[in-house]
Amino acid sequence: MIQITNLTKTYGAGNKTVHALNGVDLQINSGMFGLLGPNGAGKTTFMRILAGIVNPSGGSIRVDGHDLTTEVGKHAVKSMLGYLPQELGMYTELSAEQFVDYMAILKGLDDSKKRNKRVSEVLEMVGLHDVAKRKIKGFSGGMKRRVGIAQALVNDPKILIVDEPTAGLDPEERIRFRNLLVNLAADRVVLLSTHIVEDIGQTCRDLAVLAKGRILFRGSPADMLQATEGHVWTLTMSGLEKPNHDLTVVSMLHLAEGTQYRLVGASAESYPSAQLTQPGLEDAYVWLMKQEPER
Amino acid sequence: MKRFSLKYTLLTYRLDQLWFPLAFWAFFVILTLLLSNEEQDFNIARAYIGVAVPLIGGFMAAYAILDDPAIELRFATPIRAAQILFERTILIFIIQTVSALAFIVFALLSGVDFAPLGNALNLHLAWIVPTLTMIALGTFGAILGAQTMIGSFLVGLVWIIEVIIRDGMAVNNWKYAYIFMGILAPEHPDLIGNQVALFALSATFLFFTWLLLHKQERYI
Repeated sequence: MIQITNLTKTYGAGNKTVHALNGVDLQINSGMFGLLGPNGAGKTTFMRILAGIVNPSGGSIRVDGHDLTTEVGKHAVKSMLGYLPQELGMYTELSAEQFVDYMAILKGLDDSKKRNKRVSEVLEMVGLHDVAKRKIKGFSGGMKRRVGIAQALVNDPKILIVDEPTAGLDPEERIRFRNLLVNLAADRVVLLSTHIVEDIGQTCRDLAVLAKGRILFRGSPADMLQATEGHVWTLTMSGLEKPNHDLTVVSMLHLAEGTQYRLVGASAESYPSAQLTQPGLEDAYVWLMKQEPER
Repeated sequence: MKRFSLKYTLLTYRLDQLWFPLAFWAFFVILTLLLSNEEQDFNIARAYIGVAVPLIGGFMAAYAILDDPAIELRFATPIRAAQILFERTILIFIIQTVSALAFIVFALLSGVDFAPLGNALNLHLAWIVPTLTMIALGTFGAILGAQTMIGSFLVGLVWIIEVIIRDGMAVNNWKYAYIFMGILAPEHPDLIGNQVALFALSATFLFFTWLLLHKQERYI
C-alpha cells in the first residue's frame, strides 16, 4: 500500500542544515502501523510528507500506486486520506457537526444527503452524536481530538494518518481513542505516530522506531521484545548507592529492604545480585535508544 | 467536485475582518458629516475610496490565507492552491467593494460631486485598481515571507511611501507604479498606462502567490 524508499528531508542550508529524515525505507500494508520515537525524531515530518503537505528532499514514496513526489500524485493521495495532525487547529465557533460537514465539503463530498448521513455516522462512531450541535470551543481536549478523528474519517479514507493523537488525553480518553483506532484499522491503513510506548504496544502488530531521522527498528512488538532479551534486570540496593556502569534505570520502587531498580543495558555483571527479567516494550524502546548513539 | 461552501466560508470568516473596515467606513462618514463643506467632502470621499480602502484591503489580505486555525487540515485536503487563494481574497475584495460603493452612495447623497475624477468608469477604476494592487501585494508579501506581519508591513510601507512622495511618483517611470494616480492625479496623461501596469503587477503578484502556495510546508 505504501512503499517508501530512501526518503530524506533536510531543512535549512549550509552549516545550519538539519536532516529531519535520513534514508528511510519502509513498506506499510493494511492494518495498524505504529511509528515510535522520541520528540524531534522526525515523526511529524514523516507524517506530513505522507499527508502530502511537506515535500521530501529525496527518495520516493508511492501510495496505492501514486507517486507522492508529484503534484498529480499528491492530489490523488489527498483524496484517499484522513489526517489528524499533532497540533489540531479547528474553527471553534462551529459546532462539531458543522466542522465535520465543512471538512467533508473540502474533501469533495458534494451530495448533501449522502454527506449529512456520513457526518452523522462518523460523529456516532466517535461518540459525539449527542453533542453534535454544540460549539467546539466548549469541548474538552479529548472531545476535540474526537472531532479531529471524525473529520479525518468523513471521506472514508483508505489511509488514516494520526500524529500523536493521545498526547494530553486522560487515561480513559486514551484507552477509548486507542480502541477506536484499532477498530478503524480493520479495513484500512492506520498510521499512528507517538512517543508513548504503551499506545503502540496496545494497538500495533507492526511498528518502526525512528530516531534522529533514521529507522532503528522495524518489526512486530514481539520482535522488539525478543531483541531486548538478556538486557533487562531488577536490582535491589540499600542506602544511597545507585546503579551505574552504563545501565539505564527504567523504573524504581522503594521497598522495605531498599530501592528496587529496573535496569536496561548491555551487561549487569558488576552487580551479582541483579536478576535477569522479562523485558517489556518500554524496556525494549530504551534498549534501542541506548544503542542509537553508536550508529 | 466544487469543494467550496459559501456558508462555511462566511461562518469561518473572522469577525474582526468585518469590524475593521466598518470602523474606517464609519469614521469617514462621521468626518464628512462634521466637516460639511463641498470641497472638504470631496477630499474626504476620495481619500476614503482611493487611499483608505486599498490600505485596509491590503492589510486584510496579508492575513487572509495564513491566519487560518485549520490551515494544516485544509492543506491535507485535495483543494487546489488557486482555490485557496481565490476563496480567501475574493471575500476581502467584496467587502472593500461594498464599503467603497456604500461610501460613494453616501457621498452622492451628501452632495459630493465626483466629476473631477472623470466619468463613472474612471471613478470606479480609481479605487478598484489600487485596492486590487494592495490586496495582491498584501497576499504576496505574507506568502513570500510566510508571515502575515511581512505582508502587512509591505502594504504599510508602500502605502506610506507613495502617499508621502505622491508628486514624485507622478513623473518618470515611477508613474506606472503610482498606486493612487487615479484618485490623486486623475488628469494625468498616462493614467490608462498606469492602470494597465498596476493591473499587470497585481496579476503578477497573484501568480507568484499561487506558485508559492504549492510549498505548503512553509506555512504550517
